Amino acid sequence: MKKINIPLLHPNVQNKAALFFALAFLPAGLVNAQNKQDSLKEKAIEEVVVIGYGSQKRSDVNSAISSVKAKDLQDIKQVSVDQMLQGKVAGVTVSNSSGQPGAAVSIRVRGTTSINGTNEPLYIIDGVPISGDATGASTTGRPLAGNDFSSTGGSGSIAVSPISFLNPNDIESIDVLKDASATAIYGSRGANGVIVITTKSGKKGAGKISYEGYTSVAKNYKYLDVLSLKQYAELQNAMAPVFGTQIRPEFAHPELLGEGTDWQKTIYQSAISQNHQLSFSGGKDDINYYISTGFLDQEGTIINTGMKRYTFRANINAKVKPWLRTGANISGGFSNERFTVNQSYTGLITNTLLQAPDLPVYNTDGTFASPPAGQNTNYFNPVAEAMEKVNKLIRKNFLGNVYAEADIFKGLKYRLELSANTEFSENTEFWPQFNRGSQSNDTADLWLRNSDWYSTNIKNLLTYDQAFGNHKFTVLLGHEALDSHWKWSVAEGHGFPSNDIYTMSMADETKATGEPGSSSLLSYFARLIYDFDGRYSITASIRRDQSSKFDPSGNKGKNQVGYFPGVSGSWRVTKESFMQWIPTNVISNLKFRAGYGETGNQQIPNNRYASLLTIYNLPGNLNNPDLTWEHMKQVNVGADLTMFKRLNLAFDWYDKRSSKFLFSMPLPDYLTGGTSQYGGIDSPYSNLGDMRNRGFEITTSYETRGEGLTWSTNFNFTKYKNTLLSLINGMANITEQVNINGYQPMIATNTLIGQPIGTFWGLKYEGLYRTEADLANAPVTFGNAPVLGDVKYADLNGDGKIDELDKTTIGNPHPDFTFGFSNTFKYRNVDLSFFITGSVGNDIMNLTRRNGTQNAMMYQNQLVEAMDYWSPENTDASQPRLISSISHPNIMISDRYVEKGDYVRLQNITLGYTLPSNLASQINLSKLRLYVSAQNLLTITDYTGYDPEIGSFNQNVLLSGIDNGRYPTPRTFIFGVNLDF
Amino acid sequence: MKKLAINNIRNIAAAAIVLSTIMSCADDFTDRPSESAITSDNYYKTDEQVRTATDAMYYKTWFQFNNKFFYALSEVGSGNMYTNSSDVNAMRTFSITSSDPEMLAGWQSLWANVAQANYLINNLQEKAGEGVSQSVINNALGEAYFMRATAYFYLVRIWGPVPIIVNNLDHVTDPQMNTNRVEDVYELIRRDYTSAINLLDSKVRGAAYAANAKVSKGSAKAMLAKVYLYNKDYNNAKILAEEVINSGEFKLLGGTSEYSIPGKSFADLFKYTGNNNEESIFALQWEGDANYGSANNCNTQFGIANGTISTSNATYGGVFGPSQDILNLYESNDIRRNETIMFPGNYYADIKYKDGVEFKTGLTVPAADNIGGQGAGAAIKKYCIGIVNGNETGPVDAWAMMNNNTYIMRYADLLLIHAEAIMGGAGSTSDPAALKSVNAVRNRAGLAALSSVTFDQLFAERRKELAFEGDFWFDLGRIPRAQAIAIMGAQNRGNMWGAEYYTPSENDFTLPYPANDVAKNPKLLEAPVPYQF
Repeated sequence: MKKINIPLLHPNVQNKAALFFALAFLPAGLVNAQNKQDSLKEKAIEEVVVIGYGSQKRSDVNSAISSVKAKDLQDIKQVSVDQMLQGKVAGVTVSNSSGQPGAAVSIRVRGTTSINGTNEPLYIIDGVPISGDATGASTTGRPLAGNDFSSTGGSGSIAVSPISFLNPNDIESIDVLKDASATAIYGSRGANGVIVITTKSGKKGAGKISYEGYTSVAKNYKYLDVLSLKQYAELQNAMAPVFGTQIRPEFAHPELLGEGTDWQKTIYQSAISQNHQLSFSGGKDDINYYISTGFLDQEGTIINTGMKRYTFRANINAKVKPWLRTGANISGGFSNERFTVNQSYTGLITNTLLQAPDLPVYNTDGTFASPPAGQNTNYFNPVAEAMEKVNKLIRKNFLGNVYAEADIFKGLKYRLELSANTEFSENTEFWPQFNRGSQSNDTADLWLRNSDWYSTNIKNLLTYDQAFGNHKFTVLLGHEALDSHWKWSVAEGHGFPSNDIYTMSMADETKATGEPGSSSLLSYFARLIYDFDGRYSITASIRRDQSSKFDPSGNKGKNQVGYFPGVSGSWRVTKESFMQWIPTNVISNLKFRAGYGETGNQQIPNNRYASLLTIYNLPGNLNNPDLTWEHMKQVNVGADLTMFKRLNLAFDWYDKRSSKFLFSMPLPDYLTGGTSQYGGIDSPYSNLGDMRNRGFEITTSYETRGEGLTWSTNFNFTKYKNTLLSLINGMANITEQVNINGYQPMIATNTLIGQPIGTFWGLKYEGLYRTEADLANAPVTFGNAPVLGDVKYADLNGDGKIDELDKTTIGNPHPDFTFGFSNTFKYRNVDLSFFITGSVGNDIMNLTRRNGTQNAMMYQNQLVEAMDYWSPENTDASQPRLISSISHPNIMISDRYVEKGDYVRLQNITLGYTLPSNLASQINLSKLRLYVSAQNLLTITDYTGYDPEIGSFNQNVLLSGIDNGRYPTPRTFIFGVNLDF
Repeated sequence: MKKLAINNIRNIAAAAIVLSTIMSCADDFTDRPSESAITSDNYYKTDEQVRTATDAMYYKTWFQFNNKFFYALSEVGSGNMYTNSSDVNAMRTFSITSSDPEMLAGWQSLWANVAQANYLINNLQEKAGEGVSQSVINNALGEAYFMRATAYFYLVRIWGPVPIIVNNLDHVTDPQMNTNRVEDVYELIRRDYTSAINLLDSKVRGAAYAANAKVSKGSAKAMLAKVYLYNKDYNNAKILAEEVINSGEFKLLGGTSEYSIPGKSFADLFKYTGNNNEESIFALQWEGDANYGSANNCNTQFGIANGTISTSNATYGGVFGPSQDILNLYESNDIRRNETIMFPGNYYADIKYKDGVEFKTGLTVPAADNIGGQGAGAAIKKYCIGIVNGNETGPVDAWAMMNNNTYIMRYADLLLIHAEAIMGGAGSTSDPAALKSVNAVRNRAGLAALSSVTFDQLFAERRKELAFEGDFWFDLGRIPRAQAIAIMGAQNRGNMWGAEYYTPSENDFTLPYPANDVAKNPKLLEAPVPYQF
């Protein structure tokens, strides 16, 4: 079978060839195929759950799968679907890491599985796989906007959501496949869970026209207390002798000065947004359709930011012959986002905190002001930057999926699915020429960053259904090939004749760089579902994946191949005869489930098995030809219970072990010389170690029925514990650094074996040296004897000095548990719902506060608490003395900057009114609903930063819960209308 | 029904064909070699490829070292420069800590040189194609040994004991290493420079400057002479220095001595047009491109930026200024004085600068209190070439960095090493060969010849000649500690508004290992172990 190398079947034409054969041969044999159950027929009987390459009735499911329906999401108004899942699904942790419209969120299905870039789940949108990785780590590795994602050297560009092109209103249902017995069928890509999104299709009956529209107002509601001009002048005067500068004459009498500029107040706006969506749907005997178009215009809460999005979709399903069904989902999304300046440390948010209040926004002549001459600061006028710098991102997505499904003979179906997905994005960044005195840009600069990618996916599925008496079988055989290609290019131009019109051809000087790439994945899989009498059920599956990420030649190509088995079973106790004495209106359903499965992860940069040269002809990486699949093994035990026909309970316990997880080896710099960006040789990727997530999740829901007041509620509870079990080569820990002060890399997390991933690392604060008596016998601290007003750290190893060896674990970013609680009340035509979400037990490293209290740089504004610095006149101070160096031990990372991150948030509250149907029909409507809604209305937390919901820095799990300058999530009020004709 | 069966069989056969064809090309389908990078197995196939393999080791690998750290350590630390900028001022007060960001950058940069050199040393001979001539391979290997030795020479002088790594791959599976003893590191350096001497091509530095760019046998000998001087092996230092001098490979730019190229001057050394002049023994070859980290930041870090007048294309500048101590170092007739320091009122005809919104050429240095935020009262001239100005300055990149070379060693340094080697640890000498070398340097500076020279005079001559070129800190590190401590303790390390004095202690002469690497390998803090060669 191997190597029948037909030239026609070169990899590139393989998909086409398979399609050709499929189409040419199938119809011939299908003439006499038996008429099967019409899959288009609506089954209103029971909830159907998508299980991957098929679907099952909820009651038949053996695995841990949670579902969210359109109605559960209808009042949560977010740009992107991923944001809407927050608190809705047990076992799924969603955190927004930025309040920017369309920014990526971090989604964790059952904790942290891998420490490699991608912990995001796989999305399957109408059968089309889309990686949740917003950083493109396994493709281009570049952000769509900005230069790079690194937490150390880069611009800290915000990752944009990979599925923000999808209009949430088009979604019919979302099924989250959580345990490995369910996701094993997705094999290599299922390790982080799979989120299957099904879009709407037309319902049989009269055609329907639906309109949904809302308008909203969002506003930043929290500001940090920064120094007023008077306080700033006092602080500057105190710092002058520390830095050996003169006291500035204008600050000679701080008491005469006013408030100055609070830059936070200058860059936020009330953001008004509107969203409209129109859909047409309907169905007749053999055909149904759903066509929709949507428009979103969302302003950001930062001036001159926002996003516009246009979406369209056409879903059509048809029965062509009694034995042949076909259908297509075609959708597109176009978005245009304005970021102005990026929101990293060197970006806008941090600048509003650190820019001095002595600078007005505008000069008296109306031009933008800039810092006084001679200050050598990197801080800029945030308003000027926001208004004058252009940074926009245009994305164009097309996604199409066509299928044909034929009955070959009774019970046997063949399904062919072809899908293609592409995105074109263009990021335009333009810095106009300006001269504001001390700050200027002599020549205007333009960067055009284009990237595009496409992927094709072909699936051949054979499904066989058969029943003999009480025995029911479903057998699935499948083949899938995924082929992705991408390229990016960056052109930069400098020197433009005008700030108004700029194109590359006008630049005095231009440079360009770019790269192409591709990857592929070839898979075969099989699944058997066996059911006996509705009482016992077993699902077994296996998938073989072959990935281009691993060495095709070494080890006979075996490193490329992974096998991923899964098996699960269930026992529905209530079907047993011995349970029949219990009336069904007491316990209608009790089912126990157990499963085991393996999945894999291969999302690493390309060609890490080979030694590649950089553009400077230097080797850029240490290669590892032995690289192979990361395996994730999961055991799941669960139970479902339905009581009184209204109370549903689901419980799942799991133990999830990632073995040989893929990661770049954390080698010391003396072996790598730093990154290849500066001529070092990047650490090899390796199958580095083992990690475990163990936890449980509970979902309960209750619903009252009948006339008058009805109530439905849903509570979910998620708890997991993450532990690093082992590392190869006797390595003991994995460190990760963040950029302090924007460019100073400092280790912030250090995960030791036996501890959770991303544990905070630093010194233990023991107060200040306040008196000479304190200083007696004070240990030498990083090579220098402490003086009065310095921080006293714990000498943990007792060697009489404070150094690196006294650093320890100082916090845990993982919550003890998270929960979501939603309630909907209906009385006649009025509905009221609210949704509460929360997180308990996690720590936050507040580096924004560190920056705001460091008292180590001139001309930098600080938080008000920084004024309480130690001096001989203020020996009871809360902050150490003023210093002149940013690497001083006083401001090293310590538990001084770690805070509790617990919060409870009223995420959403909505009040709606539906016009009585007799009234509605008088105005030719079948439905009219008006609602008002508020999001993020109330947060209870002790956290002192903008927002306790931190997430992971650009989805990097080693940098979770670290607040280093974050776009605050606004409070939003919404008024909306739903109309059906 | 029979027909149905036949059709079914046909279907199954068709499906089998479909599946088998898919499987047949599975291995090709998932073979995706990089489309954007050359693999190391496909390079080094021609002479030209092997020659260019070392190009980036003359700049890219040195960027983070040269960007700020080199000066923050050797010039601010030695009291030649003053800065109050929080990122680079720690060594002014001898308070550097293990989390210093620029120290980490410098550490990484030196190890990047070691890693790249090791790669070539361990792989080039094997990977080079048959079409590559052995002499080209040898020269590239010689460059690799040269770079490794130079990187270790800095590492050992800055941190003292460091791990000796001769093949990075050997340690990937066991990255936690001990440091090795200082004397072992020096042994490695001597061996590597010796290998470089054997492998590198000979050169004579001519007027075709581009051909002078890369190091030669003479460069390696000159560096090894310096190493011997540090080891107080005066005899070997003298022998090597004389070999270099007698080869006639290098010349002094300007002056009237036997070694001089007349018609040139000390000022020409630090112009872009002077890149790879006859005096250059080893210089970093900056080559700005679209990526950060390929060019030289000195023009911005030095020079003037007072909010109105700026000698840089960046929006900041003048991060480093001259110390109050160095302002009085030079005699008024010393040609080097105004080419090293911009004193108020000095005029530099070829410097282009920005004055408000206008660009002007011909800079008159403003008054002392109007030079910039450092309050140094003067500015640094060396390596400041002004705002981009065509062929005079070469190009500037997006970060305002430029392509003017950075000297690691030049001929004047070697001549002074020669004189010191002859002095051989004595307090003074009047040996004619020693005097000839010293006086050649003095002659170019416009100073009278000496008839005998003391060690202190020679030491001061080195400071004057090489100020701001990253040497004085290391000179201070090789003289008796008490003497170095006394010199630095007496320096005014403040600015024009206030004198400040700081006295270093013994352990300030080596820097702490960067915190990030200690977190990965606490063994760095253990006592060094002997290295088995």
